[in-house]
Amino acid sequence: MNHKGYWCLQLHAHLPFVRHPDYPDFLEEDWLYEAITETYIPLLNIFENFVKDNIDFALTMTITPSLANMLADSLLQSRYYAKLNKLIELSEKEVVRTKNLPEFHPAALMYEQKLKTCKHIWEKYHGNILTGFKNLQDLGKIEIITCCATHGFLPLLNDETAMRAQIRIACQDYKRHFGREPRGIWLAECAYAYGVDKILKEEGIRFFFLEAHGILYGTPRPKYGVFAPVYCPSGVAAFSRDMETAHQVWSAESGYPGDPDYREFYRDLAYDLDYDYIKPYLHSDGIRRNIGIKYHRITGKVGLNEKQPYNPQWAANKAKMHAENFVFNRCNQINHLSGILGKEPIVVSMYDAELFGHWWFEGPDFINYLFRHIHSGQDVFKPITPIQYLEKFPTNQVLTPSPSSWGDKGYYEVWLNPKNDWIYKHLHTAANRMSEVATENKNASGLTLRALKQATRELLLAQSSDWAFIMTTGTMVEYAEKRTKEHIYNFTTLYEQIKNNNINESFLANLEYVNNIFPDVDYTVFIR
Amino acid sequence: MAENLSSKLENKQEKVVNKTGLPLDYGDTKITVLPRDPICLFAYWSISKQISKKIENQFGKEIFEGSKLIIRVYDTTDVSFDGTNANRYFDIFVTPDSDSWYINVGEFNRCWCVDIGYLTKDGKFIPVARSNKVDMPRYGVSNITDEQWAMLQVEFEKLLRISGVNQIGMSSFDIAKLMRERWEEIVSISLPSSHSVTSSFKTHPKNQEQMSSHGKDSLKSFWLKADTEIIIYGATEPDAKLTLDGQSVKLSADGSFSLRFYLPNGDKDYSIEAVSHDGTMKKSITFEIKKSTK
Repeated sequence: MNHKGYWCLQLHAHLPFVRHPDYPDFLEEDWLYEAITETYIPLLNIFENFVKDNIDFALTMTITPSLANMLADSLLQSRYYAKLNKLIELSEKEVVRTKNLPEFHPAALMYEQKLKTCKHIWEKYHGNILTGFKNLQDLGKIEIITCCATHGFLPLLNDETAMRAQIRIACQDYKRHFGREPRGIWLAECAYAYGVDKILKEEGIRFFFLEAHGILYGTPRPKYGVFAPVYCPSGVAAFSRDMETAHQVWSAESGYPGDPDYREFYRDLAYDLDYDYIKPYLHSDGIRRNIGIKYHRITGKVGLNEKQPYNPQWAANKAKMHAENFVFNRCNQINHLSGILGKEPIVVSMYDAELFGHWWFEGPDFINYLFRHIHSGQDVFKPITPIQYLEKFPTNQVLTPSPSSWGDKGYYEVWLNPKNDWIYKHLHTAANRMSEVATENKNASGLTLRALKQATRELLLAQSSDWAFIMTTGTMVEYAEKRTKEHIYNFTTLYEQIKNNNINESFLANLEYVNNIFPDVDYTVFIR
Repeated sequence: MAENLSSKLENKQEKVVNKTGLPLDYGDTKITVLPRDPICLFAYWSISKQISKKIENQFGKEIFEGSKLIIRVYDTTDVSFDGTNANRYFDIFVTPDSDSWYINVGEFNRCWCVDIGYLTKDGKFIPVARSNKVDMPRYGVSNITDEQWAMLQVEFEKLLRISGVNQIGMSSFDIAKLMRERWEEIVSISLPSSHSVTSSFKTHPKNQEQMSSHGKDSLKSFWLKADTEIIIYGATEPDAKLTLDGQSVKLSADGSFSLRFYLPNGDKDYSIEAVSHDGTMKKSITFEIKKSTK
């Protein structure tokens, strides 16, 4: 049977580089640990089971360089492993404690089982789950793409060299983890500016993703709207976003994740349990914070105390129902589109990977049911990756996309507003100074080479779009401001030491130890 | 990601951060513009003391009296701008101590360049620095079609509608916003004394404290809650295997153990069994517990 079109799923897995070896216990490192348990390992597990069960699937996934560096870091690995074991210990206790509480016992058993699966997969890869994703890519099942080295927001870097550094260093690092060159990239925050595609081309990238209006407002008019890729004048392909699938998942009112049967994020066991009992599982300061075990469902618009017990079976049924609904809607959409366009459309759905599992606990189940249902429940469309699509359909329209992002309002305002605009002066000056010292020390060696490399790391870390983002959203602003200032300060100090030829080795060595992202970073990309 | 986390960086690194108070400017003279969206530019600048001196030397001490700091915004669309050939320009008066400004350019799909400088009493403009040029993000659909990929206007409009041109932006920002709204909603409807039968612990005073600290005053009605838990504890050989009702229990390094449960009404038996590590010896203890509530 001939199918009528394609569906392309792109999951963007990213976390900013947060690693504090100088503290035994650091709160913001939890972002990584939670995402590993709730998102990365569950997804990996599901994909591996697809392979085992011969489910035909294809998807694209960013593993950003900053995330890859954390996942490959032995310190964070051992810290995660210790955390996981603690949580398993708690989950075992909980199974016993809830023995006489039939409404909570199934959830307790579920956590114990999920956490033990996590541990099993973690141990299978000796703590480096990147290997698991790499294996899937080597099998041709998933396409892993890269991202700007530290998720730098390219349009606001305002300097071609600085943009190129974000791309080239990302590509070099990708090779270290995945053993080949990346073919695609996710531009941080999907943010495109004129000229970015030319840099991508020069760095060997073949495709990237755009927000819908990046193509819809492109010049000339896009003949197929967002339902076919385009080539930029540089020759790089751009795939843009379908808004129907975006809203189906995201919409506050009608989106799937808000279903009453799904798990309630805000009712965490850490607040419910007796203090002495839970204390060993909290951070060393003993303050109650989410630990990720939650026994209640969303229930409806009710207070936290009115939340009803979570029923894993109901939730799984709901995830299955939603997956089938999603497939049903894609069939209708693709049938409809193929009629209008007179060709096979590609519908591109892109989401933050952490939505699945962390924010929407049942999200991984949804993806599991989704691909299984696509495989056996319909023949209207096939899942595809951008590269597979381009190989099938090499002829596409050429157009210049419009600068855009996937942030609120569609442009750059989330990252440029009175809450965060003060950072750009420093980021621009630092990038300029980096080029200056790189150009003055083209063939650096010894201590100067080390200082130039570390200066590059500090600059890149300061450029993470996450800091500006956090300043805008308003939670943990202080941490974001500190990180920005700290990296600029570190950079500036190194810059001055390089300029004055008096590099302080112990200062440098400490930074190398703490901010150890990109071990082989290539500073020469900054040479003008 | 994780909510309600505050940073521990604070305490130990306070001294570093004090040291990192970043400079207000870098002693240079320049102006930079960044596009925020199709209609708005952000400009930031610095003017060094030497430059101000130089202007004074050139134009006389009284030059700054009555003169105003302005940004002159040039429309440089389709021209190779040399300072004189802009399509048009307009001036923005900025406050003397400001170092950045948001500029509404008032027109879509144009290119812009700005100068910062002083406008004297008699209308003379003394530029101090010129910015980079900015080609704004496009707003609206292009008028240009190409022959090979042409289509009818009505078809294109239909296509735009199904492409969702009116629904821009759904990203991590929206998750953050959505989750925050959900939290605020939950807080606003969570009354501190609302009685719950669904907690996995029947009382959770801490949780209620947390609730009341989120805006609502505690209700003043008199109330009492009580319930029971059971703690079973003991010790055996550290390398023994211990089970409670057939489920294995983890022993501490010294062989001790402690378990606590919710205790419901009714009769309940708890049997504990320890088996030596080589499996040759066995001991067991059973508790019979009866609870009734009046």
